[in-house]
Amino acid sequence: SIQHVYGAQHPPFDPLLHGTLIKAGSKPPTTPVKLKKVSTFQEFESNTSDAWDLGDDDDELLAIAAENLNTEVVMETAHKVIQNHSKLQEQHKFQEEHLQEEKQEEFAQLTSAACGDNRLVKSVSEGHTSSSFDNASENSSMQRSQSLPQTSIPPLTSGMADYSTSVTPALTEREASRLDKFKQLLAGPNTDLDELRKLSWSGIPKRVRPIAWKLLSGYLPANVDRRESTLQRKRKEYFAFVEQYYDSRNDENHQDTYRQIHIDIPRMSPEVLRLQPKVTEIFERILFIWAIRHPASGYVQGINDLVTPFFVVFVCEYIEEEEVENFDVSSLPEEVLQNIEADSYWCMSKLLDGIQDNYTFAQPGIQKKVKMLEELVSRIDEQVHRHLDQHEVKYLQFAFRWMNNLLMREVPLRCTIRLWDTYQ
Amino acid sequence: MGSAEEDYNFVFKVVLIGESGVGKTNLLSRFTRNEFNHDSRTTIGVEFSTRTILVGDAVVKAQIWDTAGLERYRAITSAYYRGAVGALVVFDITKHQTYDVVDRWLKELYDHAEASIVVMLVGNKTDLAQAREVPMEEAKMFADNNGLLFVETSALDSTNVEEAFETILKEIFYKVQKQKQRSSQSNTVALASENPASTAPAQAERRPCCVAL
Repeated sequence: SIQHVYGAQHPPFDPLLHGTLIKAGSKPPTTPVKLKKVSTFQEFESNTSDAWDLGDDDDELLAIAAENLNTEVVMETAHKVIQNHSKLQEQHKFQEEHLQEEKQEEFAQLTSAACGDNRLVKSVSEGHTSSSFDNASENSSMQRSQSLPQTSIPPLTSGMADYSTSVTPALTEREASRLDKFKQLLAGPNTDLDELRKLSWSGIPKRVRPIAWKLLSGYLPANVDRRESTLQRKRKEYFAFVEQYYDSRNDENHQDTYRQIHIDIPRMSPEVLRLQPKVTEIFERILFIWAIRHPASGYVQGINDLVTPFFVVFVCEYIEEEEVENFDVSSLPEEVLQNIEADSYWCMSKLLDGIQDNYTFAQPGIQKKVKMLEELVSRIDEQVHRHLDQHEVKYLQFAFRWMNNLLMREVPLRCTIRLWDTYQ
Repeated sequence: MGSAEEDYNFVFKVVLIGESGVGKTNLLSRFTRNEFNHDSRTTIGVEFSTRTILVGDAVVKAQIWDTAGLERYRAITSAYYRGAVGALVVFDITKHQTYDVVDRWLKELYDHAEASIVVMLVGNKTDLAQAREVPMEEAKMFADNNGLLFVETSALDSTNVEEAFETILKEIFYKVQKQKQRSSQSNTVALASENPASTAPAQAERRPCCVAL
């Protein structure tokens, strides 16, 4: 049977490991890493090796990093980025709010550069509020995302620039070969899920993502012959729930739940799809049905965000467009929409099965994960940890939302989707 | 430290509480950044913002903690009531249900905060007057009977937002002054965080959030 994995870990989450991590945290800090003495990436990496996950496909990247990265280079590069950044700022004469937006954008770009699958879904980062829909800022953000590879690489280091241009075509080749690998794996009569999970760690190509997610979440069986019948049965089952429960949303014991879902959907991540009435309806049904079928947690803010990646990925299965955000969902046939809705419900349920204690009373799952984060930071970046401690910043204050919404409030949707390739 | 923003005489920790969707986040953003966001996102857990204002001769830094209204977050959010010297209990004048539960919010506040905390009842969304469900007199009377300050605001059109925060900060300030006089007479209690910029380079003396009342 398939275990649902929360947390970016490969090989998949091991409860025993998890246990020791927490125990280590409760001991007085033994501080295995002395940051000051670490001068190379290799040293740092080997000192903290248990905190990193090394997938096969990452070896190459790590080798490059180990060769090229030392503190001086890193600092020099950082300096240049900052210099270049402030020049840009002068040019654009951004106001303070725009600066913040840009910082977030930059963070998003860094993350998306790491994603390696930039074309997936162009999305709007958190910093874009309603005010950013006026023409000027929309244009500037467009420019920024279009020039993504250039801006994330310091323009003054010619060596690095060469590196970037020589790598770009290789990446597409790499992507093509990755797609082949996935296709081969998915072609067999029985998909090897362990192998698929391993391969997915480095990102799932867009075209096979819907099927890969459905397999990895345990929604679809590994056996090809059983898939179609499972889909039909599950979709029927979901709409039977809708028929059975959805009318009760205005009953006295359910109206609070429904009211909360109803007021929260317009207040979700500003990814554009959700504003369409059709999408709102679908989200309300999915969330309400899930909530009343899981009374131990019920509906909690954050769960609503978790529908979005599934919905968007499954919509992509049926459309040609590269950009989902401007796609009019109501143009899809009713039956297709129903399939997307049921599939999203079940995959979200599967994901939530593994993290239900995030949303039960006092949210122990989140508290535990925040503790783990604290322990991890104290080991891999003691300086940061000490700094936070000195200023009495509690990890719960900033990391609660990260865990509660699985980082969906912090990074653009396309990066969330890439991250979720590793959660499935 | 050292920047102009850090020069203040007092830090007052104030919490914003009340049902989900009453406008807590927009009240805060109106006060600290003069912004209103029509589709501001649900607050997850707790967030905070600060603004420094002048009260008399004193520079007061208001550190305002914006909490999620959702029931499930209560265990997390109520931990932030500790050390607060002021609280705004917000309801939506167009949704009676959000006013009905003010009692519950007050109880929870007094369970977790100091008894001397200054509390203000805030009826928000006066721009939607045509949809009003809570009469102002009713809320005012409730506030009077329970020893709360009271104001009606609109974060959308800015009505009374500035006034609400200024009033509560002044009230806290006077309370602190009185306390200070009393303690200097008896020469016993010192206010931990008074005048942090000028007196206390040492971190330990600079508890960032609390003036004890």
